[in-house]
Amino acid sequence: MPDNWGFVIAAYGLAAIVLIAYWRFLFRREKELDDAKDVRHQLRQESSASEPRPAQSAQTTQRGPIP
Amino acid sequence: MRRLLGGATLLGLAAGLVMGFVVAPRESTQGNVQRIMYLHVPSVWVAYLAFGVVLVASIVYLIRRAEAADQLAHASAEVGVLFTGLTIATGSIWGKPTWGTWWTWDARLTSVSILFVMYLGYLLLRGMIDDRERGARFAAVLGIVAAFNIPLVHFSVYWWRTLHQPPSLMKPGPGTMPGIIVAALLVNFAAFTLLYVYFVAKRARLLRLEAEAEA
Repeated sequence: MPDNWGFVIAAYGLAAIVLIAYWRFLFRREKELDDAKDVRHQLRQESSASEPRPAQSAQTTQRGPIP
Repeated sequence: MRRLLGGATLLGLAAGLVMGFVVAPRESTQGNVQRIMYLHVPSVWVAYLAFGVVLVASIVYLIRRAEAADQLAHASAEVGVLFTGLTIATGSIWGKPTWGTWWTWDARLTSVSILFVMYLGYLLLRGMIDDRERGARFAAVLGIVAAFNIPLVHFSVYWWRTLHQPPSLMKPGPGTMPGIIVAALLVNFAAFTLLYVYFVAKRARLLRLEAEAEA
């Protein structure tokens, strides 16, 4: 029987393309989600830093209404 | 840990290629086209493994409602569909020079196609339902029902008269293949199992990150 190397190359080539494409999809999506997670974490830190501290807010409430 | 797993997978796949193309001899009946077996058979093994994991994870999810079990089932089903597709495609490429046809409605080929469509439906079902908990519940039921097709696929070559040959390795009793071919096949089985674990771990992590982003 002839060796049919063309069929062997087609099968392994197709498998390589499919598996590499899936790995690239996973890799890119993971990077996107990790980046988004970092941005969320940074925003949360910034918002918590800009919020008034409990002591400061207590002073503000003690001051009473502005005349 | 994931890098280590990725490295081990790459090494395993490289070893599998060396075993399949360099160490394993040319098969006397089919010639070199038989080397597609080192890709085709491990692919179907991973598909069986993946859908078996879907079955177990779905049962665990229905009992404990653990989100991690649902994410594992989802990831495993996706990887299983990928490898079932590869099994069908590589089988078709192997079938043309050996059987003289790309496709025939043989019991094994038909049952594998049904398996593929069922788990594709499983993934579509998950995508269609917006309520995450409801989608997970429905998918878990389908994941359990669809698993009944796995023994049907495996034993179809015994139960019906088919063009597809019976299993050479995944069967009880002594094997008929030469030791070196069995060794090459086993190395590829190990490599593909590592690849499955790597893909599922990565996909399950993505599902966890997506759930965190939505929360």
